[in-house]
Amino acid sequence: MEAFAPVGLLLAIALAMCAGILGLTTWLGPRRPSAAKLSTYECGAIPEGNARQPFRSRFYLIAVLFLLFDVEAVFFIPWALVYRESLAEGAGLLLAMLVYLGFVVLGLIYVIRKKCLELY
Amino acid sequence: MDWLDLGLTFVKTLAILLTVVNTVPIMSWVERRGAALIQDRPGPNRVGPLGLIQPIADFVKFIWKEDPTPANVSGVLYTIAPFLSLLPACLVLAALPVGDHLVVMGREVRMQIADLDVGLLYVLAISSLGIYGILFGGWASNNKFSLLGGLRSASQMISYEIPLAIAATGMVLFYGTLNLREIVLWQEGTLLGVLPRWGVVLQPFGFLLFLIAAFAETNRLPFDLPETEAELVAGYHTEYGSMKFATFMMAEYMNLTTISGMMVTLYFGGWHIPWIGDSQLLAWFGGSRNILGLFQFVVFFTKVTAFLFLFVWVRWTVPRFRFDQLMRLAWGRLIPLTLLNLVVSAVVLYLVEGR
Repeated sequence: MEAFAPVGLLLAIALAMCAGILGLTTWLGPRRPSAAKLSTYECGAIPEGNARQPFRSRFYLIAVLFLLFDVEAVFFIPWALVYRESLAEGAGLLLAMLVYLGFVVLGLIYVIRKKCLELY
Repeated sequence: MDWLDLGLTFVKTLAILLTVVNTVPIMSWVERRGAALIQDRPGPNRVGPLGLIQPIADFVKFIWKEDPTPANVSGVLYTIAPFLSLLPACLVLAALPVGDHLVVMGREVRMQIADLDVGLLYVLAISSLGIYGILFGGWASNNKFSLLGGLRSASQMISYEIPLAIAATGMVLFYGTLNLREIVLWQEGTLLGVLPRWGVVLQPFGFLLFLIAAFAETNRLPFDLPETEAELVAGYHTEYGSMKFATFMMAEYMNLTTISGMMVTLYFGGWHIPWIGDSQLLAWFGGSRNILGLFQFVVFFTKVTAFLFLFVWVRWTVPRFRFDQLMRLAWGRLIPLTLLNLVVSAVVLYLVEGR
């Protein structure tokens, strides 16, 4: 864990930088609000309705698919780490990963055939 | 770890962070001058020689401008969103090795903020956190353009993260480590006596896929669908002004630098120069580790600069994708191709090195 200590230091410096930016811009900038300035920007037209509306649920589907496939992608990493050393013992690890990869590809084909990613 | 170590770590952290933060104004100048060069117009040329002082003038203007919070936004989320995208952009730098090591007061100082054994995973994990800033910014603005920009950005960044990770895994097959410093050290020397032993020589195709995914991850043209100024005004930062807008820009350019640094580390030998090893260089520099370190730092950032220029070049040359084409490219093309790259690499390694 000690290797991560400088990351904490970096986080502290970055937080200080963010606070500095926010502080400076609030302190130095003028403050002259008006109704037109604070209204929602819709290219100069009078804003129509609220943006908090239901949107296409396919975006949610993409998030779920990302979770699945990212976890599957991460599973490749420990395999890749030991793969070269394992070559001395034959093709066992290669074959095992090919089977796993087959399942990943099957899932991918299913997702594409089901048109899960057609957003429009 | 005593006080001297802590001080050295502090100085080193600050130095690397400031170097990368300083690429932001330089990049904003290069971007505009590069655009002007490609479009055959002068570009910013009034403030200082060649317009070089322009970024400073911009900064002064940004910070002195009024920073209004529009009436309909979700206040807290709206305020923290730019910083949520800047923070990960800073944190990713921790794992990036910019040189081997220096010797200061008899101590070995690694030219890397934190020498993490999971460096590659750390970079992939932290860089994807930047998505929260964009998503919150788009949602909290309570603006239809922003909402669409934020949603598109979210689905784009998560989709392209998978090919990015799998393409990098292809390189891990060869390196056998996730420690970025060890990855760079591995790439010293030559392959078959002629070629530099760089990742790009071993996997040119994997590098291309990584490059495409990197363009999409950083929301750059041809994949800048979150912004698409022709359709969505400015995408997720439509409602932002003043320094908060500039913070989003800062995060974007810092991500650009980091991803370029990752490409240099994974595929272009990090701080190494072709054919000439570190020990040879050390002999030329009269055995001084510090001069060598400085030299490596310059080499690393020269390579990064080359990639940054590539980003600018592509931005002003290639037209934009449509959003459904973008998603199809990620899931239907890039992911299968990166998987294929992985399998072919594994099989070739087996044929070459297997029993």
